[in-house]
Amino acid sequence: MDVIGIFNYGVGFVIMAGIYAIFALGLNIHWGFTGLFNIGIAGFFALGAYTAALLTTQPPDPAQFEDFRFGGNWSEIGYLDLGFDLWFFLGIAAAAVVCGVIALVIGYVTLRLRDDYLAIATLGIAETVRLFFLNEKWVANGSKGLYRIPEFLGHVVSPENYDYLYLAVVLAALGVVFLAAQRAVQSPWGRVLRGIREDETAAAASGKDVFRFKLQAFILGAVIMGIGGALFAHHIRFLSPLTFDPLLATFVIWAMLMVGGSGNNRGAVLGAFVVWGIWTGTQFLPGFFADPNLRFFMIGVLIVAAILLRPGGILGETRRIARGADRE
Amino acid sequence: MANVPASGEAILQVRNLVKDFGGVRAVDHCSLEVGAGAITGLIGPNGAGKTTLFNLVSGALPPTAGRIVFDGRRIDGMGLHQTFGRGLVRTFQIPREMKRMTVLENLMLPPGGQLGERLWASWFLPWQIKRQERRIETAALEVLEFVRLAHLADEYAGNLSGGQKKLLELARTLMAEPKMVLLDEPAAGVNRTLLRDLSDSILAASVERGITFIIIEHDMQFVMRMCDPVIVMANGAVIAEGTPAQVQQNPEVLEAYLGGTVQGGAVNGGAVQGGAAVGAA
Ligand SMILES: Nc1ncnc2c1ncn2[C@@H]1O[C@H](COP(=O)(O)OP(=O)(O)OP(=O)(O)O)[C@@H](O)[C@H]1O
Ligand SMILES: [Mg+2]
Repeated sequence: MDVIGIFNYGVGFVIMAGIYAIFALGLNIHWGFTGLFNIGIAGFFALGAYTAALLTTQPPDPAQFEDFRFGGNWSEIGYLDLGFDLWFFLGIAAAAVVCGVIALVIGYVTLRLRDDYLAIATLGIAETVRLFFLNEKWVANGSKGLYRIPEFLGHVVSPENYDYLYLAVVLAALGVVFLAAQRAVQSPWGRVLRGIREDETAAAASGKDVFRFKLQAFILGAVIMGIGGALFAHHIRFLSPLTFDPLLATFVIWAMLMVGGSGNNRGAVLGAFVVWGIWTGTQFLPGFFADPNLRFFMIGVLIVAAILLRPGGILGETRRIARGADRE
Repeated sequence: MANVPASGEAILQVRNLVKDFGGVRAVDHCSLEVGAGAITGLIGPNGAGKTTLFNLVSGALPPTAGRIVFDGRRIDGMGLHQTFGRGLVRTFQIPREMKRMTVLENLMLPPGGQLGERLWASWFLPWQIKRQERRIETAALEVLEFVRLAHLADEYAGNLSGGQKKLLELARTLMAEPKMVLLDEPAAGVNRTLLRDLSDSILAASVERGITFIIIEHDMQFVMRMCDPVIVMANGAVIAEGTPAQVQQNPEVLEAYLGGTVQGGAVNGGAVQGGAAVGAA
């Protein structure tokens, strides 16, 4: 690779790491601050991505479908008429709203119950979303996948330079999400979440409506994940149910949060870059070592090492020291 | 239950309250009234159902049967945060501090009506929130001063000693604006000198702020000094009620402490010590 090649690789890397950082921030709201055990991130990932993709893609032109061109059965592909050609930002907003509404429903049902129920429900929603897009071919072309997902402002920049534009979009989104998450968790709202994480009963005895705050946190985290999913869709521009493999869409994000520092938003972002760096970097290892299964194994080892050596993650949660009038 | 509390009318009425845990009936048709502004002692042998009664009244657990009226409204069926909202605050016998939050943060949690607890406000009104935070922080530091924990304000609550955690429990109730406070063994593990200050401050809160207290305590000296009336529970029901002196001489009470219950042996020391303390007072 020449210098420009390496540079372009770096740009692509930061785009993906930035998108993952958004997911890590969402998971941090769930787990890091509130103690909500979401093991179905892939579900929100897919929902966000598909929602944005379907809303911004043009209605399909039958002539473009391979099935049709190669004599496929039109009565089958005839259903395939989703695509609304809406504005990029509307797609992102819709992805956020859809994930938020699904989180509201799941949370409303499970957050009053024991903690395990939320875990099971999130796992269930991830699988349900995957099967839905796999089996309901009329929505997003099933396992053959959804392509033709448009680039944001694709006509403005030449294709070679498009990644620079999208890099700016992703970093701007990451910045906004980071600031919003940071303000939220540093406010009394975040203090209530941490109180709930530490001891629900004590938080309730301090007058806090635990269910309401848990529901809000669950929705906010899911909304952030929806935004991440939408940005991912416009970057990859091809979605199939296989894209949302739990390993890459749930497990890796957990790894990022644990390695970077649960309960610290800077740690979540850092963890995303570190783990994504290791994940993508290891593919350049020679032969045998670049095997994906081995790489996942290495990520697993990394998490265990992080938990043993630095239980709080690289950055970890920081103690919030009072400003105190007398100490100022 | 002949003695009606001397001070004011009942702020809390408990009627035929029952709580079953599987086969165990922890509270068995318990009825009592607590007068507004009084400091009522709640004593009884281990396993008498005192803590369970607190759990029912505060809404930490739903009752199996019976009714609870607080300040003119039924509160049975309400949750912990709802009774808190009506001005009923409780501590836990085994402290429940938020470990990975500082002592100060633990105390900044309870005050009601915090603007910053609204998510949208955290985004759009940071300055208003900061101002409110400063007020709450000042109040929390005052309370910490009061329970002698000010030097630990920035320490993680999980790092406090057992006695310090009990003080933090008490401090938490002071951060709310309660009408009634339920204290579950506030004196356990707290040193004598500090205990005297705490008693004084509970008395002051009662007199100056008109807060009603119910105090579960095995330390008879403390109960005799602080509480009037005293309610005695055994086997989930109230067996006696009256002034400390009346209760001390009640044969049923002595019976409950010395014989009767399975755990009676463990309580003997307490009862004897209590008797000695009254004799000395
Ligand atoms: N969550 C629970 N599950 C099952 N049994 C319980 C539970 N809580 C209390 N009990 C039982 O109810 C009875 C009363 O317990 P409780 O804690 O109310 O006693 P107590 O009067 O506070 O005693 P102590 O003075 O030792 O604190 C005991 O027999 C106890 O084992
Ligand atoms: Mg008890």
